[in-house]
Amino acid sequence: MQDILDVLISRKSIRRYKPDPVPDKMIDKILEAARWAPSGENYQPWRFIVIRDQETKNKIGDLAKVGSGSRMTAWYCMGEMQKRFEKIKDPDKRARVLEFMYSGEVSEFAKHAPVVIAVIGDLQIGSVDVPYDLSAATENILLEAHSLGLGACWVHGPVATSRDAIKFKKILGIPTGMNAYKVICYVAVGFPAEERKHPRPKVPLEDLVYWEKFGNKERP
Amino acid sequence: MDQTQYFNDMMARLEELFYHELSDCACWKTEFVGVDFIQSRDIQGTTPSEIIENCIREITTAGLVKEITYSIGGQDILLYAKVKGCLHISKEVALRKRGIKIYNCPIINMILDQIIEKLNFETTYVADIEVDEKSGECLLKCAIFESPAKIGNVCDWSDECRLIDENNQWTTVEC
Repeated sequence: MQDILDVLISRKSIRRYKPDPVPDKMIDKILEAARWAPSGENYQPWRFIVIRDQETKNKIGDLAKVGSGSRMTAWYCMGEMQKRFEKIKDPDKRARVLEFMYSGEVSEFAKHAPVVIAVIGDLQIGSVDVPYDLSAATENILLEAHSLGLGACWVHGPVATSRDAIKFKKILGIPTGMNAYKVICYVAVGFPAEERKHPRPKVPLEDLVYWEKFGNKERP
Repeated sequence: MDQTQYFNDMMARLEELFYHELSDCACWKTEFVGVDFIQSRDIQGTTPSEIIENCIREITTAGLVKEITYSIGGQDILLYAKVKGCLHISKEVALRKRGIKIYNCPIINMILDQIIEKLNFETTYVADIEVDEKSGECLLKCAIFESPAKIGNVCDWSDECRLIDENNQWTTVEC
């Protein structure tokens, strides 16, 4: 069996895409990868909505922009965003980045993605821990897209609040009852129009791993 | 038996569990908590101030809080509110004792719900809830966005709040 670590560590979130359509065969492979994710009791609660219609993608992009922008505007006004980005030393660059964030533009890119895949969970099929199952399926989508030479990004923004989740469901015709379907995210997919640079630095393993008991950093 | 304490203890447990599941994201999921009460009232108004004041009248008349004062600033995006004598204060205190940041105010949820429902505002966001156990007062900072164009209109809310306090720009609603 092949080690997929190279695929894992070379993947990054891609938010800019070429306009080229994604071939159906690639979309099918991505969905097949999602289908093979693990799920509690093998309930497989996930359902996927593949969106290529521009008007629908525009609505999702607008919803994401308002969702992220409203929160980040408030965080900026509270001084929290400035602290988050103080690592950027160049003040002009920092200001540009912050405006990109609090305007909500950071989350608008569904409009420009050739394909958007909504990941939703059926709450009525004897499911357990639906969000975890859906997260595993979403990760598979990202990895398969990456391995096919595509770029993808997992976006929670437009379904983050309860009210926005209802708006998102209405856009896609999903039943809006809280007992029916859980919307966890969408994934934007397309051929990357940005460099696949090495991902941002990760926290070193020694800061993340304990041995045998919480807090014990010494490998026995 | 203190029924209010009983229900607040239950709410605190639920919010603690919910926070454990969703961490800081929990606050994004609770915006409908409390809205049933206000939606059962016929709140009227054509401006944020009218809606807010009519909500306050219903909330205080029902005995859910003793007093709510408010101010709107920050390019009409900041809703700054003081809630005194709230029925839910013991829930907030219990959560804070357990080290959980206060994230769900049913009272402000009611007001924000009516701003959206009656004025068709685009969205709202509860940015901060401070609880002063001694004075029995909560201080809330919320963002209210009339339209998408209002998103991104930033300013320093600490300055805004200071000016509101210094100039006593609070509105108190007589019931």
